[in-house]
Amino acid sequence: MGAALSLITRSLGRDWRRLLFWGLAFALMSQVLMMVALITRFGALPTYVTFYDWPGNVARIIASTPSWSDIPPIIAQEWLIEIGRMNYDYGNGISEWSLSVVPSRLVVLFVLGVLSGLATGLARGDGCSRTARRGVAFATGGGAVLVAMTNATMSWVVCCATPTWVVGLAMMGLGVSTSLALERLGPVIAYVGFAVLIATILGLALRRGGRPFLNTETTHA
Amino acid sequence: MTFPTLRSSFLAAGMATLASTVSAETISIAIGHQSMCTDTYTAGVVVKELGLLEKNLPRDGKYADVDYDVSWADYSSGGPITNQMMANKLNFGVMGDYPLIVNGAKFQETDSLRTLYVAGTGYNLKGSGNSIVVPVDSDIYSIDQLAGKEVSTPVGSAAWGMLLKAMQDNNISSADYALKNQSPAVGAANIAAGKIDAHSDFCPWSEIMEFRGTGRKIYDGSETGVPYLHGVVVRQDFAEEYPEVVEAFIKAVYQAGEWIREDPIKAVSDMEGWTGVEKEVLYLYFSKGGHLTLDPTIKDAWVEALKFDHEVLAKEKAIPPLDFTAWITEDYARAAFADMGVDYEAEKAITVDPKENNAGLPMEVWHARDGISSYPDMATFLTALAEMTSTGAKLNASYVYDSETGLKLFGKTAFWVKTDAGYATFLRKGEAESHAAANGGAVISFEDAIADFTTEG
Repeated sequence: MGAALSLITRSLGRDWRRLLFWGLAFALMSQVLMMVALITRFGALPTYVTFYDWPGNVARIIASTPSWSDIPPIIAQEWLIEIGRMNYDYGNGISEWSLSVVPSRLVVLFVLGVLSGLATGLARGDGCSRTARRGVAFATGGGAVLVAMTNATMSWVVCCATPTWVVGLAMMGLGVSTSLALERLGPVIAYVGFAVLIATILGLALRRGGRPFLNTETTHA
Repeated sequence: MTFPTLRSSFLAAGMATLASTVSAETISIAIGHQSMCTDTYTAGVVVKELGLLEKNLPRDGKYADVDYDVSWADYSSGGPITNQMMANKLNFGVMGDYPLIVNGAKFQETDSLRTLYVAGTGYNLKGSGNSIVVPVDSDIYSIDQLAGKEVSTPVGSAAWGMLLKAMQDNNISSADYALKNQSPAVGAANIAAGKIDAHSDFCPWSEIMEFRGTGRKIYDGSETGVPYLHGVVVRQDFAEEYPEVVEAFIKAVYQAGEWIREDPIKAVSDMEGWTGVEKEVLYLYFSKGGHLTLDPTIKDAWVEALKFDHEVLAKEKAIPPLDFTAWITEDYARAAFADMGVDYEAEKAITVDPKENNAGLPMEVWHARDGISSYPDMATFLTALAEMTSTGAKLNASYVYDSETGLKLFGKTAFWVKTDAGYATFLRKGEAESHAAANGGAVISFEDAIADFTTEG
C-alpha cells in the first residue's frame, strides 16, 4: 500500500498540469452540459443572468453564524451566478428554471475531474489487458457520473423552487415520489461515486506496485 | 493562524461588506416576501409600497441616531426565503404554513441559528386558498374522479399538503393517481392547454385560472377542514438585538390589514399595479366576505394546524423535528398591539368562519366603468346583470356565495340552481345537483339565470 500511495503522490506531482486541466475542464463542462440540458429540455434560451457577491456573502455568513459547524453547509448553498428563464405570464414574473453556479459544487467537480484524470493516467501507464482497461474506464466513468449527478445545480420552480440535485431527474420525467426518495440518498450516492473512483485509483496503483510511472500510451495493444 | 484569529479576520471582513447587519449608525432590515401569494401581502407588498415599516420604526432611545436601510426581495415561494435567511441576507421572511414549518425545522437543525414565528398575516379557517382545478372543459367534477388521473402540484407547498390530505380523506391512495411536480405558472399553463387532468395550487392561482376562463375548481381547501394560514418569521439573533424593530414590523402588518379593510376596492386596484395579479381576483380574497381574514394574532388553533402540517411534511419529506414552544412567540405581537392600543387577546379570540360570516352578504357586480355595486338578493342581482348585459356594458366580474360553505365565488364559475324558491349558487356541481334534486329544481347556467330576467325590446 505504501508503494501505491507513493506512486499516486508522484503521479500528482509529476502530472499536476494535466490534472489541473482535468479538474477545471470537469467543473466547466458540467456547467455547460447542465445549461445545454435545460435549454434542450425546455426548448428555450435563458433570459436573465444574475451575479452574486459570493465573497461578501461568505464573509457575512461567517460573521453572523456563531457555530463553526453551521457555517460550511450554509456557505455550500451560496451561489456565484444564476442563469435562467423568467416567466411573465402571471404577475411580475417568476423564474421558471435556472442554472446556479455554486462554488462549493465547483470544488467537488474539480476534485472529481482530478481523480478521473489520475485514474485515466494510471490506466494508460499500466500494462493491463484491453478488458481490464475497459473495466477501469467503466469504474471511472460510473464513479464520475454518480458524483456529477448528485452535484447538479439546476433548479426548476416545480419543486417550490428548491434547488436540489433530483431536479435533473425530475426534468427527465422521474416521478415525484421516486425523486424525493432519491434526494435523501444524494450524499450516499456521491460518497459511493468517490469511493469507486478512489478504489479504482488505488487498485491501479497497487497493480503497478513500484513500477515507474509512464505517462505514455500502453504498449500491449 | 489560529481559529479565533481567523474568525476575527472574517468578522472584520464581514462587517466591512455587510449590508444586512449593523454598523454603528445603520440598521439594515431585509425582508423576503412573495408577490404571487395573496395571503402574504399584508406583510409584503402592502407594507413595502405604503412604507408602513418605515413609519413604525423606532426613532428614540437607543435608536435615536440610527439610520435604517430597508430592503425587500420578492420570491415565488417560501423555500428560497429560508435559504436566504440562513445566510443572513434576509432578517424577515413571509410565507405560507408548510414553508414556515420547513423554515423553523431547518433552523432548529443547526447548532446556533434559530427563527421565531412572531405573527400571522391572514388565514382561512377552513383552508380556502388552496384548491384543485381542472381544465374548464374537463368532464371531471369531483375529487373522486381523479383516481387514475395525472395531478400536478408544487411539491412542498401548502397546496401539496392539502392535496395529500384531500386524497387521503377520499380514500385515493398515492398509487391510484400520478402526482406530477409542477410550478404554479406551468401548472396554470398546462390547465389552459388541457395537458394535465388536474392541478392543485395555492392562492391566488386557482382563482386566476377561473378568472381567465381556463380552469374550473373542483375541490376547495376548505373541505379538508384544516386552517390555511401565512405568517412572519424572523431570525432570532435579529429579534433579540432589535425587538422594537420586530414590533414595528408587526404594527405595519396590522396597519396593512386596516388599510385594506378601509377601502378594499382601492386596495386591490393598487395591489394589481404592484403585483400584476388581476384586481378582480384579488377582490375575491380581500373584499368583505373574501377568502382571507387579515389577522396577525397567533391562535391556539393555528399552532395545532402547524403541528398537523409538520406531521405531513415529516412523513413525506423527512424534515427535522420542530420545537413549537421555542419557535412560536406572541411576545412581540403583544407588545406591538399594546403600543397601538389594540387588545391582542380580544382580537385573538375572534375567529371568522366564512359560513357564518358571509351569510346574508350582498352579491356584487364589478362594472368596468361604474365600479362595484351590491345587491341584497338574487332577483335584484340578476336583474341588474340582465340590464347591464343588454346594454353591452363591460363587466369585469360578479360575485356570489357558495350555499354550502359561504365561500365567495365568481358568478360565472358558480353552479346555478333554479327552484321554486329562487336561485342558489354552488362551488361544486355535485352539491348543486343534490340541492336541485331535493328541491325540485334544475342546475342551470349563469347565462340562463341572467336570461330569466332579460326583458325583450
